Amino acid sequence: MKLKRLKGETIDAYVLIVPLLVLLAVFILYPVLANIYVSFFKWKGIDKPVFIGLQNYKTMINDETFWVSIKNTLVLLIYIPLGALLPILLSAILREGLKGWPFFRAVIYLPNILGYVILGMIFSIVLRKIGPLNSLLTIVGLGSLALDWLSKPDLALHALGLIYGVWLRLGFGCIFFLAAMSSVDESLYDAAKIDGALWWRTFVSVTLPSIRFSIEFWIVLSFIEILARAFPFIYTFTRGGPGFATFTLEYGIYNSGFVAFKLGYASAWATVLFVLCGIIAFFQVKLMRRNING
Amino acid sequence: MANTYTRTINKIMYLVLGIFAVIAVYPIFFAFFTSIKSASEYVNNKLSFPVKITFENYYHVWIKGNMLKYFINSCILIPCALIPYIFVCVSAGFAFGRLRFPFRFAIFLTVLFLMIFPQMLLSIQIFQICRKLNLINNYFGLILTWVAYFAPFGTYIMTTYYSTVPMELIESARIDGTNIWQMLFKIMFPIAKPMIVIIVIIGFQSMWNELPFSLLLLQTESLRTITQGIGMMQGQYGLDDTILTAAILSASIVPLILFMFFQKQITMGAYGGAVKG
Repeated sequence: MKLKRLKGETIDAYVLIVPLLVLLAVFILYPVLANIYVSFFKWKGIDKPVFIGLQNYKTMINDETFWVSIKNTLVLLIYIPLGALLPILLSAILREGLKGWPFFRAVIYLPNILGYVILGMIFSIVLRKIGPLNSLLTIVGLGSLALDWLSKPDLALHALGLIYGVWLRLGFGCIFFLAAMSSVDESLYDAAKIDGALWWRTFVSVTLPSIRFSIEFWIVLSFIEILARAFPFIYTFTRGGPGFATFTLEYGIYNSGFVAFKLGYASAWATVLFVLCGIIAFFQVKLMRRNING
Repeated sequence: MANTYTRTINKIMYLVLGIFAVIAVYPIFFAFFTSIKSASEYVNNKLSFPVKITFENYYHVWIKGNMLKYFINSCILIPCALIPYIFVCVSAGFAFGRLRFPFRFAIFLTVLFLMIFPQMLLSIQIFQICRKLNLINNYFGLILTWVAYFAPFGTYIMTTYYSTVPMELIESARIDGTNIWQMLFKIMFPIAKPMIVIIVIIGFQSMWNELPFSLLLLQTESLRTITQGIGMMQGQYGLDDTILTAAILSASIVPLILFMFFQKQITMGAYGGAVKG
């Protein structure tokens, strides 16, 4: 049923959303569009921009670090399935309501309240050559595995994937999937029990299909985390190193923009990131609108 | 038979939960134990409890270092940013969730779309804007940037909440001649308290832990936020890990206390449900 709009409702509504829209226009929409514009200029930030057409893009595709950052991002994306599966499994276990389960839920969530900056720092200490992880490995007799984790390019990148892409997703993932599972019809579980289905079987044929929309949404969120939110973590974890081993597109913008002050060039990187984020945002919006009556 | 099966399954489940609980908190405990060890003890004892507890590292960070200053900065800055953040999220959420106006859905989808862009992508231009408006090294610039960046998500949560509020509530207030501000402050704020708590928790965490914007907009040392101060310590050579961990723990105290108080809201369904979309 569509109710008639009341007098003044339109004006009132616009008054209420104007603060948000103004802020978004100035601090998000304008920067995004201006980036694309600036990417066609040579510009150091204080001088007058000089139009150079596609030169920044040409430089970029010949820039080895650009392709390295794309490759690194792809490697990090490999960790998304594990970063979804583990929290789903943990939530399915927590959902069973074992004695003391809220305690486990709280403990598993705990790291998520510390920010990426702090967690990145803690792990940079934990993985040091003379750090606690290697002490542990030596004590349990696996001294040969005590590697210099963050100085070997491959190890550093996979450590980033495992910590940032999986470990860090556990706590929030549990809360997220527990909420999803709480709306699953309990009678499905009862039916499975009567059929004598084993735990694993129930998990695969009842739990997973019932939360598939949430899983989709989680995958989209994971893409966002890797493409668009990883900078603070990497900044304190490895500073993009060793060499360019954990360099990402975000880090490229930081390096060319705020270290080398080539703002036009940095904007070309930013435009690539904009296109990738735009594609993901499209899926995100599509999934989010399911919740809102249009 | 079924009983043995259940018992075995339960044991396995406890084992899995136990392992993941340890994996989750060990890094934090490690940081805590390291922060109360002396540097010389840490060399030989990386893993277990400190033999001799020392607060030397905290003294170094808080009294000799600038931690106290950064801490106070964050404690002033964040409440100042949270007030406009709440106002923006609640009023826009109310409008999107419960008022009818042209282009409502299109505008709302645009807001959701703008939520995704990484801070680094925006930062080049935000820096230019703030420079033109003389907002570099000025908390006002950072507050506006933070609210703009974090409000869309809070607005989304408030919108999903308000769209479940019965229409009659608004209709009858309308007919009574209540104006929009009275409706906002007398009806919409009070009924949404539990959700407002949730967006405040999310907003607080986002701001307390924020790095790229503060790094960019606050260049004077005396203005730095706590997370920024710590992020920059990381690069300095010659700082002992024991001192770094003391800094880490110092910055984590407020979020940890917050978690103790709001543990229920954070880990219960509402939070996950609000966010899950």
